[in-house]
Order: sequence, then structure tokens, then C-alpha cells
Amino acid sequence: MSGNVLDADVGIVGAGPGGMAAAAALAAAGLRVVVLDEAPRAGGQIFRQLPEGAHAHLAEPPSHDAGHVLLTAFAQSRVQLVSGATVWDVRPGRLWFEHDGASKLLRCQRIVLAPGAYDRCIPFPGWTLPGVLTAGALQVMVRGFGVVPGQRALVVGSGPLLLPTVTALLAAGVKVVAALEASSRWRALRALPAVLGNGTRAREAFWYARQLLRAGVRLQWGWTVFGCEGDGRVQRATIGKVDANGRPRRDTARTIDVDVVGAGFGLVPSIELGLRLGCRAQWNAVRGGHCLVVDGEQRTSVAGVFVAGEIAGIGGSAVAIAEGELAAAAILREVKGTAVPSAVVQRVQRERRAADAMLAAFAPLPGLHELAQPDTIVCRCEDVPLARAQAAAALHGDSLRAIKVGCRAGMGPCQARICGPSLQALACGQHYRAMDLPVVQVPLKVVRSATIVDAPTG
Amino acid sequence: MKRRIDGTGDRPAVAFTFAGQPCSGRAGDTVAMALWAAGEAVLRQSSKDGAPRSVLCNMGICYECLVVVDGVTVRACTTLVREGMRIERGGRP
Amino acid sequence: MAETADLIVVGGGIIGCSVVHHLAQLLDRSTRILLLDRGPVAGATSGSCMGHLMVTPDDAQEYAFTARSVQLWRELNERQGGFDYNPTGALYLADDPTDVELFAVLQQQFAEHGDRADLLDPRQLRELEPGLAHDLPGALFYAGDGVVLPMLACGAMLREAQRLNQHVVVRPHCAVTGIDRDGDRIRGVRTEQGVIAAPIVVNATGVWSPELAAMAGQPRLPIHPRAGNLVITGHHVSPIRTQLLEVGYIRFAHSAAKVDPTRTDDAGGHAVNMQPQTNGGCLIGSTRQFRGMDRELNRELLHRSLLRAQRYAPGLADAPIVRTWVGLRPYSIDKHPLIGPWPLLRGLWIATGHEGLGITLAPITGRLLAQQIAGQPTDIDHTPYLPARFVQ
Repeated sequence: MSGNVLDADVGIVGAGPGGMAAAAALAAAGLRVVVLDEAPRAGGQIFRQLPEGAHAHLAEPPSHDAGHVLLTAFAQSRVQLVSGATVWDVRPGRLWFEHDGASKLLRCQRIVLAPGAYDRCIPFPGWTLPGVLTAGALQVMVRGFGVVPGQRALVVGSGPLLLPTVTALLAAGVKVVAALEASSRWRALRALPAVLGNGTRAREAFWYARQLLRAGVRLQWGWTVFGCEGDGRVQRATIGKVDANGRPRRDTARTIDVDVVGAGFGLVPSIELGLRLGCRAQWNAVRGGHCLVVDGEQRTSVAGVFVAGEIAGIGGSAVAIAEGELAAAAILREVKGTAVPSAVVQRVQRERRAADAMLAAFAPLPGLHELAQPDTIVCRCEDVPLARAQAAAALHGDSLRAIKVGCRAGMGPCQARICGPSLQALACGQHYRAMDLPVVQVPLKVVRSATIVDAPTG
Repeated sequence: MKRRIDGTGDRPAVAFTFAGQPCSGRAGDTVAMALWAAGEAVLRQSSKDGAPRSVLCNMGICYECLVVVDGVTVRACTTLVREGMRIERGGRP
Repeated sequence: MAETADLIVVGGGIIGCSVVHHLAQLLDRSTRILLLDRGPVAGATSGSCMGHLMVTPDDAQEYAFTARSVQLWRELNERQGGFDYNPTGALYLADDPTDVELFAVLQQQFAEHGDRADLLDPRQLRELEPGLAHDLPGALFYAGDGVVLPMLACGAMLREAQRLNQHVVVRPHCAVTGIDRDGDRIRGVRTEQGVIAAPIVVNATGVWSPELAAMAGQPRLPIHPRAGNLVITGHHVSPIRTQLLEVGYIRFAHSAAKVDPTRTDDAGGHAVNMQPQTNGGCLIGSTRQFRGMDRELNRELLHRSLLRAQRYAPGLADAPIVRTWVGLRPYSIDKHPLIGPWPLLRGLWIATGHEGLGITLAPITGRLLAQQIAGQPTDIDHTPYLPARFVQ
């Protein structure tokens, strides 16, 4: 049994930029650090590495330079990384996870949560067809595995992440037939001062502009996908213009032939671990929805629990790295009494300000919820069409819980991560007030029954 | 049709079966990516009407890529391929 | 001017929904019936319980009570449907010799009511359920039981009620904050959204019914929450097609509890109850523990109940577990529900206290209460369930 129990000073969930930055800094100061991560290799979604042995030089934006520095520092540190670990329960000082078919426990004095984020999905007709993926999925496919997604791609959605999706597809030799940003050019211009005022972000923007220009791909502002069709796999997509609120203008619809579609309507913070621990969360539409609340040093409302990166609100890799370093400094202050450098605090504040200003221009457009038709599946796990979710809201109530019990939406294995963020707005329509905080239940991700039965105690 | 970016497939081959047919991927592939590279996009049938479903998030969130590996239901996108695996489509039998 | 209704039912769980359902059937079509809940319809106990329809043959009254209710379920399914009704029957299982002896006792009880249950030898059991452990000493099969999805059943009842009577109004997320009286007669309720006058108020708030009774200035109702941990698997992995009940479950669930429900040191217990879902998933229970309104998962009890379920269905070990949660059953201290008028306040009616049989008994409960309110003869003897038994 003891082989299934690990001990550490600090347990970190997530080997993305936030988790790696915190881990490397803590290990350098002599603390025993164990990092649990679900992917095969370190890097997170943003700095995904190809499998060991794979060789390729895919064009990368300037922000990835920091990723390489971090990956090297992380690899050279004494951090113990457990890849392929699925964390299914957490209590202060205890992380239970499934790894290699075994049920394991990490005991630690402090926890840093850096689980990242996932794509916000907005249902549209045909989005369940094979070949329609999230924007993040396509980036993982290309940058994480070197696999070519298809031959003719459509990229749709809203926000800064459409650009890396397009460039990943280009790096894989895929023809990008159309790249559609739902926000209008004028709305997006609001992000310009934030981008130009931050050197790294400005260079990043120019790099993407050059890549698109070179490939002859033009970002179409105020456009999105109206639906997808195909026989067992996506073959055609209907696209068209949306108004300033994101409502589809059906008269502008036209059809294009594609065999892969990447959809990314922003990101949703992965806060489940924090909620299970009882950490306080609050709504922040610009940062992607419900985010964990932190003090000035990345502490949550629960003693011994720190966070870094998207879990405290979407901000990107620069924010995550800065917050990972700040979380480490805050822990070292508690453990060793060393001061938290003010430069580290200021860097977090600066990066957060820049990220907030940029994301404000891409906050979710409510009209995009009109893409779904009555028979469009909104909950993919339980196969719930929009009409049934609306009927549930009308009878059972307009809360998230009411919609769930009224039609089973959100009760499947994704535990509402996919449908949850848009379910209330879709089901309640005009009567939608505010998103309820989701209720988390054990296991936080699906695990085998034997994993729960065999869970180490102590 | 090219299914892997040049250089990225220079890894040992891993043989397995998918829906009873011989198939192969590369060491370090997840089941989802090995199957995608092999041209197999349909990974499960939906519960209600048996409609084809495939990878959606590719990062362990959505459970759309559920397959049955040697009798156990797993996410194709978080499970690494191993020599001799017997993989069946997930969802409605 | 204040809103008015002819009847207000407080509590949108399966009992409140059934009361509304039967009131709509039995009363004049112009009767204004209002259902209130502080949360969603089916958002509390009925949204976190199992869905067994279970005929219990202990004695003639108990048999009539449960069998008539299961029949009403069947009829609702034929008329309305939409709640995953599944007439799986029930397999009573045991693995220790003392419990095995209970098969014959149970079989005899069914026979006494003109019903039947069949003893299966190990070979017959394996033919019926190949996914069960092969060392089991046999089982008792009763064909009359079934499974429903309670949350959807709440919706089905209300939709039929609204079709029969367009004056049925359902108002979720509207908490009752007080009850108005005129001397010994009820006048209406106060809610978050305003005052509503009504001559009849039904308390169907389950584990919260003592709270509502207190608002009406009444003595404490003898209802206590009894927590249960539940587990559900993913789709298409259920090792069983029939509902499974450890025969010890009957003793465990329905015999005299040795524990004082007002104490908080109950270690709890468990007996296997497994239900196949129409999507191929499997719902696994069941634990029982008195610990107040605490709905935090008890990992120790969960662990024990899963281990026990795996003992009967070893294939479960590999089943993906999607969710676990805790529901609170409204336990009544004499093990019988309270269905009828509250004698100390005219216009106040009660329907609660079904503990683990609330889903089974919801239709007959709604019917008995509606028949009493309507002044009609009741389907079965309703007097054992009158709340007056708790009033000196």
C-alpha cells in the first residue's frame, strides 16, 4: 500500500505554466514538490510537447520562448512529476488520484491548484458530428502529437485563442478555408491599447498577423458558424454574419466544404478542485465565469490552498507563470519566513491588467446562444436537445440545478463541464439572470469503482 | 492523404486492434490520436440514438471519446496506446 | 390585492407533485392549485434518491399500500410516460445462511396476499443475471417491482395535472417564509414573492416539514433526516438488468432502528440496492445514517457500500463512477408516513415521512390525501397514516 502513498511539502495539480513555475521555484528553495498532471508530458495545453522521440520544428509564437525556458527549468528541478494522473478527490493536505490503473494518495502540507481551463462550447446544429472539435483540441492534436487534423479546416469562435488554432493548422499543412471571429472588428479594437502597451503581447500579435498574411488567411470579423452537416463526419458548414450581440443574421448564410471544424468561444476556468475544497469563488464574466477568489499572494479562502493561472480567471500563460512564482513566494514566506519580492507581486498585477483589458473585447456574446435550434443537442453526454432543456427550465425552475433535474442535462460523465457554462442561458432564454455556481461531487473526474474502493487512507 | 506532420511519427510502432481490425499507432500516442492518424474518427455511439461521436476536447474533459480498452471504459484522449490493446467503440452497444 | 388560491401545496418533491397531480384529478377543474418550492421542482430529496417501486409484503395493510401505489405508477406510465419507467422486477440476494432463510419467509408473505415470488437456484440465477458473482446461493425473484427516474416523474405528474386543470400553477424558487392563521384556522402563506391567501395548505416538505410546521406555530413533527450515499456509473456498463436488493435490506431499511434519530453519533449502515438505468448505467445504494441535515459525502460508508456491491457484481470494479452524492430521507419515528389533516390547525394537511419508500408510495399518498380533501372514500384504509396519531 505504501507505494501508493506519496508525501510532499507541496502538492501541485497541473504541469502547465502556473504549476511548473510554482514547482520549479519551490523545489529550488529545497521543498519536496510533487506535481500531478493528466497529460502524458509536462507543458499544459499551451506548452504541449510532442511525444518523446518525435522530431519536428513547428512554427511557434514568441510567447513560447518562456515556455521552453520553463520546461527546461522544470525538467532540471527535483520536482517529482506524475503524468497521467487523474485527481478525483481533494481535501486540505490530501489529493487522491488514479494513476496507471492504481488508486493513489498524495499527502502534503500545502496545495497549489493550477488545473488550467477548458474551451467554452456554444452549441450549434451539427456540432456533435465527428470532425467538429474545440479549438484547444486541434492545438493539442498538432502540437502535442503531430497529427494532421484534416485537409480543409474552418476555425470559428471568439477571442485570442483562434489565432494559435489557425497557426497550428497551418503548421500541420491544413488548408484553413475560413477563420471566423464572432466579435466585430470595432469591438476587438478595444483590446488594442492593452496589446500595444505590453511588449510581449504586441510582438505576439505581430507574429500571428505575419503568419496569417503569409498563408493568405484573413480573419473575418463578425462571422460565425450557423451549422455543420455530413454523413457520419463533418463535410459542410454553413457560415454567416452575426450582429453586434452575436445574433445570427440568417440572410447572410452560405455553405462551404470542410472536413474539420475548430470551435473556441473563449475559455472556462477549471475551478472544480477549489470548489470541492470549499474555496470562495466569484463571477467574473471577462475572466470566463466563476473564478476562485485570491488574496494579493494567490491564497484562496481555505488555509494551505494556493492557486495559479486560469483557475483564478482566464489570463493566459504570462499571467499563469507570474502567479505560479507568486504562489511559490507566498508559500516560502509561510514556510521559511522569506519576504515576497514586490517585483513578483507587481508582475502579476501588470499581467492581469493587460489580460483583462484584452479579454474584455471578447467577452461572450449572448446572441450566439441563438445558434442552437430546438433539436440541437445541448448536453452531449445525456443527449438532451435544447427544447427539452427549455421545457425543464419552464417547469422545474430557472436554476442550473432545476434544469439538470428536469432533463438530466449535465448529469453525464463530463459532469457539466461542456454544457454547464451555457446551459442556463440556453434553457432560460430571456429569463436568464445569472449563472449559478456549479455543485461539485466526488469523483471530480470519472474513475473506476475500484479506485474509490481501494483509495488509500491516512 | 498525409496524417502525421513530417518527423513526428519517428517513433516505434504499436500494434493494437480497433473494432476487431488490426491497427497501429506510435509509442507516445494516445488512443484517440493513434486512431485519428489511422483515419478512424468515430469513437463511440451516443446513448440515445447511436449517432457517431468523436474527440471533442482532446484534453480529458468532455468524455466524448469514451472507448472500451480490454473491457474497461476509458477516455481515448488520456489513455496511451500499448502493444496488443483490444479497443472497441464506446457508448451504445 | 393579495394573491389567492384554493389550495397551496408546499414542497415540489415527488410527494408534493403527486398531491397536486391527484388534486387536479379529483377536484373541480376550476380549482386553483398552487405548488411552491424554495428550490427547483425535484431539486432536493426527489432529485437525489433511488427510484425503486417496491412492493413490501410484510402485512396486508403494507401490501395493499405499496401494491396499489405501484399499480398507479404503471397507469401513469401508460397515460403519460417520460420518466424511464422500467418494470425490471426485483432480485432479493443474500450471501450468508441466515439471510438466505429469509427468502422462504418473504416468498410465503407474497403468497399470503395472493401474489407470488420465485426461488431461483444458482443456475437459474446465473441465467437471469450472468453478471452476478457465481458463488451466490440463489435468490428470490419478484416480478412486480420496477424502477423510475423520480426527477422526471415529478415533471410527468405536474404536466398531466396542468393538462387536466389549467389553474394548476407551479412556482419553483419561491420560499415560504411564514404561515398566516386566523385562530385555529389557516389563512395562507407568506413567501419571498408576497402573501398568498388560501384556506388549505399541504405540508409536503419532507425533511423540512418540521420547519414548516413550526412556522405555523405547531408542535415539532416526528420527522428526522436519514442520509443516504448514492453512486452512479457511466452508461452501458451495468452488470445487471434487474433491480437487486440484499434481502437484509428489508430488515435494515424497514425494521425498528436501534438508533435514536436525534443523536448525531450514528455510525450508519448499508445494504446493497442496485438499479439498472435505461441508459445502461447502474445506480448503487444504499446507506443509512442519522446525522442531521449534513449532506457531505461519507467516504467510509461509500467505500463499504461499493465494496459490498462489487461482492455481488464483481464486474462493477471496472465500472466508471460518474457521481456520488447524499440524499436525505424523511424518516418518521414510527416508520409510517403522515398523510392527512393536522388536527391542531384547520386547513393544514400533511404528507411526509416516507423515508426510503417515498418514490414507491408517492402516487398512493397523493391519492389518499386528495381523496380526504375531496371528501371521497379512499382507495385503501388511510387511518394508519393519519397524523393525528402523534397528537395527544
